Amino acid sequence: MIDALRYEYVRLRTIRSTYWLIAIALLLQLVFAALIAWSLGRSATFGGGEETFEILATIGGSTGAPLLVAYVVGLLGVFSTGHEYRHGMIRATLTAIPNRTVVFVAKVVSTAVISAVTAFLCVLIGLLCIIAFGLDLPSASGFAEVTGGIVIYTVLFALSGLAYAAITRNQTAAVALLMLVPSLLEFIVQSIVVIIKTNSDDPRGAGGITVILKYLPYDAGSQMYVQSSIDGFVQRALGAEPFGPVGGGIVMGVFVAALLAGAYALFLRRDA
Amino acid sequence: MALIEARSLGKSFGAQRAVDDLSFAVHPGSVTGFLGPNGSGKSTTMRLMLGLDRGDGVTTFDGVTFAELDHPMRHVGTLLEAKPFHPTRTARNHLLMLAAPSGIGARRVDEVIEMVGLTGVARGKPGKFSLGMGQRLGIAAALLGDPHTLILDEPSNGLDPQGITWLRNLLKFLASQGRSVFVSSHLLQEMAVLADELVVIGRGRMLANGPVQEFLSHSGLGAVTVRTPDAGLLGPALEALGASVGHDGDALVVRGATAEQIGDAAHAAGARIHQLTTRQATLEEAFLEATGMSEEFRGTQGGEQP
Repeated sequence: MIDALRYEYVRLRTIRSTYWLIAIALLLQLVFAALIAWSLGRSATFGGGEETFEILATIGGSTGAPLLVAYVVGLLGVFSTGHEYRHGMIRATLTAIPNRTVVFVAKVVSTAVISAVTAFLCVLIGLLCIIAFGLDLPSASGFAEVTGGIVIYTVLFALSGLAYAAITRNQTAAVALLMLVPSLLEFIVQSIVVIIKTNSDDPRGAGGITVILKYLPYDAGSQMYVQSSIDGFVQRALGAEPFGPVGGGIVMGVFVAALLAGAYALFLRRDA
Repeated sequence: MALIEARSLGKSFGAQRAVDDLSFAVHPGSVTGFLGPNGSGKSTTMRLMLGLDRGDGVTTFDGVTFAELDHPMRHVGTLLEAKPFHPTRTARNHLLMLAAPSGIGARRVDEVIEMVGLTGVARGKPGKFSLGMGQRLGIAAALLGDPHTLILDEPSNGLDPQGITWLRNLLKFLASQGRSVFVSSHLLQEMAVLADELVVIGRGRMLANGPVQEFLSHSGLGAVTVRTPDAGLLGPALEALGASVGHDGDALVVRGATAEQIGDAAHAAGARIHQLTTRQATLEEAFLEATGMSEEFRGTQGGEQP
């Protein structure tokens, strides 16, 4: 396993996309966090408190917007496997390390570590902006909860990208899946469920088709850092109470684990 | 030094049998050429040997499969396809990455870069490399672990004549050190001077396997030309041996008998011989004869109806 991790380390270190993607994630975080912090500092209506850190660490993701760092770092997950197939590297990789389980696990570990570190750095940038603009610092527990949520979501998001690339063996298709499944596909499912539910005999009743909304993996996972969102408001109005941070994290975790299990099984079985 | 033993290799793509029950051995200290028409299953066979493709059979390197080798790059060097690298990772970094799992250091990386003549572009992006330069980088990767066995799929692709000569000398030198070299190529003239043994396949099946000389001598295209004033005596005597006898001007062209057999037959028949010339089939002739009906893809010549 150490050999495969060494390979992954050199792989990540010797390719420009690693640096570009991390730099883009950090830069976007810095620019948006600074702008938001500046804006909040001038706001007469913003109440401050714990919410300040939640908004800045997620650069608006805590209100239901996409978690930008996850989308950028998710590409590292796609590339970890996608480059192998796009550039015909997979056979060279497997002649250096023939044990496919070790190769796959090393990719999962390296993707998880690099996405976790990048997400944590983004959180720290949010914290620095709070200090720089003199806003309310979070409590220790608030910091830990929000940071944990952001880091775990980003890691799971990136791992889903890795799994998409391993399943499709097509980098472009994997990028499309990673971008479209959380944003477009889940939105379409939500819209269909809302239309069906609002036209039913009991539009506000609990249960029924709205249960599906709780199990949309990326939306459920976002409960780990989202405090209040329009999606959540709509779900509650239709009688579907979201799982919350722990339950939502488990739903997303199970989904990503299933994706990885499928990707691993195919990786073992297929020709390289 | 390792003996490669491939036993009952097989692979199907859907209903098509790409490799069918191939068994052969590659001996240390020799270059074994792997020949076959396009689509005959050469690359698939090589991938099967390394466990990259899922299929039937087993290949061992001194009794151990590739997957069981500890740090396989130190035992078996491989080149399986042209340009298997990320276009923006420098050539040196590409090799450093491949070397990392086997604990091969930067000094060895620089050595193989120099060995293949890429020192000047080692820090360049291989996306801009020509096919020949890409092949040299692939050969460098194969040599990284100073392996006792080399499996190379069309390594001369894209190399210029100087590059082909360099590769031939390199492979011969490596074989002379006792290493096992298994190399596929469609350059038959090159293989004729490089290989000691041959594995020839067609449509995934074994057509011939053994020393090059044996392959050539078994070809029906080899012949012995005999100039004799006693053709009337010698012709029937040779036909009685089972040889086929043709005429080329005042000479007999004999197939199916060696020069020694012809000499003996002439002596027994009392026929005089003025000249006896052995003409062995070229590798190209022998290969085309062996694979004549095994082409997967057959084109037409201008004006010829398919």
